Amino acid sequence: MKIRKLNRGFPAIRIILAFLLLILCVYPVFYVFMSSVKTTADFQQQKPYELPSEITFANYQKIIEQGRILTYFRNSIIITLFTVIFILLLSSLAGFGLSKLEFKGNRFLRGYFNLGLMLPIQVSLIPLFYIFSKIGLLDTYPAVIIPQVAFGLAFSIQLFYSFYKFLPNDVIESGIIDGCTPMQVFRKIVVPMSQNTFLTVATMQGVFCWNEFITTYTMTKSVGMKTVTLGLNDFVGTMGLTDWGATFAMIILTILPTLILYFFTNKHMVSGIAAGSVKG
Amino acid sequence: MTRTLNKPSVIMMFILPAFITFTLIVIVSIIWVFCVSFLNWNGMTDGSFAGLENYRQLFFEDSNYWEIVGNTFLYTVYELIWQVLGGLLVAIFLTRIRRGRAILQTLYYIPVVISTVAICQIFTKFFSVTPPGMINSLLGLINEDWYYLEWLSNPNMSLEVAAFAEGYKYFGLYMVIFYAALISIPQELEEAARIDGASVLTQILRIKLPYIKPVIISNLIIVLNGSMRSFDVSYLLTKGGPANTSQLLTPYMYKQAFNSLRYGYGSAVAITIVILCVLLGVVLQKIVIRDDKED
Repeated sequence: MKIRKLNRGFPAIRIILAFLLLILCVYPVFYVFMSSVKTTADFQQQKPYELPSEITFANYQKIIEQGRILTYFRNSIIITLFTVIFILLLSSLAGFGLSKLEFKGNRFLRGYFNLGLMLPIQVSLIPLFYIFSKIGLLDTYPAVIIPQVAFGLAFSIQLFYSFYKFLPNDVIESGIIDGCTPMQVFRKIVVPMSQNTFLTVATMQGVFCWNEFITTYTMTKSVGMKTVTLGLNDFVGTMGLTDWGATFAMIILTILPTLILYFFTNKHMVSGIAAGSVKG
Repeated sequence: MTRTLNKPSVIMMFILPAFITFTLIVIVSIIWVFCVSFLNWNGMTDGSFAGLENYRQLFFEDSNYWEIVGNTFLYTVYELIWQVLGGLLVAIFLTRIRRGRAILQTLYYIPVVISTVAICQIFTKFFSVTPPGMINSLLGLINEDWYYLEWLSNPNMSLEVAAFAEGYKYFGLYMVIFYAALISIPQELEEAARIDGASVLTQILRIKLPYIKPVIISNLIIVLNGSMRSFDVSYLLTKGGPANTSQLLTPYMYKQAFNSLRYGYGSAVAITIVILCVLLGVVLQKIVIRDDKED
């Protein structure tokens, strides 16, 4: 008991440490927002850490007048949505199959999919770029979605696998005895029970995909196919000519969706990860 | 029930869609890259068979290659420190806080959801020299000379700054995983230790860390593997420079294939990355599995 009291004796240090970490993690976003509402004059004359002397939304106006932001959002939404749907579909089925079905080669297949955790997507971009250009798929949604789905599988299968491994067999058996086909058991019993895992995988892959850079950069050419992440470079010129005000406004607009999504799903995510982490 | 479930048709239905997608895109393209690595090819006109020429050049003539391999290993060490050790320490710290931990945990995670492109732009601005960025402006308040410190353009610092940017972006991810594991430790374990009079440090070292050992090891593997093939930060923030001081293997491969149009040569670099990553991954997993059996 004595030691416990001693440990509680330094709340000040803990609070300071907590705040320092908080500044480190949150300040850049605050800084970007503050800079995005600065006037050009403030931006050039003030020190970087100073707050704006007056607030202007000229930078946001500039982005809207440029007119591409809606295209970027549309592309990002379509690509993220399809990537996440395909990943969820394929990896939940495979995760369930690998954890609950007994067959020869199960172990081998798990190792096989595990390879995906070790391989860099950039390696595959070399052949995929060539093949997609030959079959006229470059600069289309599938060219961006397909590689991301394939490379997202390994990680997602593993999360589903470790969750389903601890799903009681009785649940599935009772479904089969009631006359359901295996697919019905999966759809009507297993999927509702693993909502948290679905949410975890969807959030993580969704954020990865929304922020993805190199696949989209490699596979798209036209402005009409760019995503929000690539659009961030629209106001970046060569050496020093970057329009930072507009760039910062763009950053704020593009991270808003991920921040909002994250704040809503955060709780489920921690429990989703916890469900698979220690046991798996 | 096992008969209905384990029918080949059922197994196929569950496994085949993922298997086909994964094999066609991931595995076939690696095999393709392996074959191309023996060609002298620019990706457009007909290539010619070059045997081991690409590999010979890479290993014996390309003075950049070994420097870049060294950079990549050093970068990986930095990431292990920032992401695994940093994430673990912050997670432990969070469990020691009584009030407001949920909100702190949420806020500490913010860098993870920001895109690397945005992070790199912010860091470019923070570490800028002309005009002085955030870091130099603040340091300049302490000492006038520090106003002109070079970061991204400093050959002795660029790799470290890039590693810090990547560590900054991802440490929250591992923090959450460690945190989730730490809070799932049974209360009785902690209480027993407390009653025995174990100090906080002993509790952490003797009880908590051993309990979450599988999580620590799996995070180590993920970070190790992820850093060996790290791409975005080096490509975007420092562009590998100055010279090749912050160049890493994957961006080097990408530039060889897509910018220099040396498809064959880039593929040879790619194969060395694949071998490195898979070897590391398999060896580590073997060690872990053996370790598990001993326990």
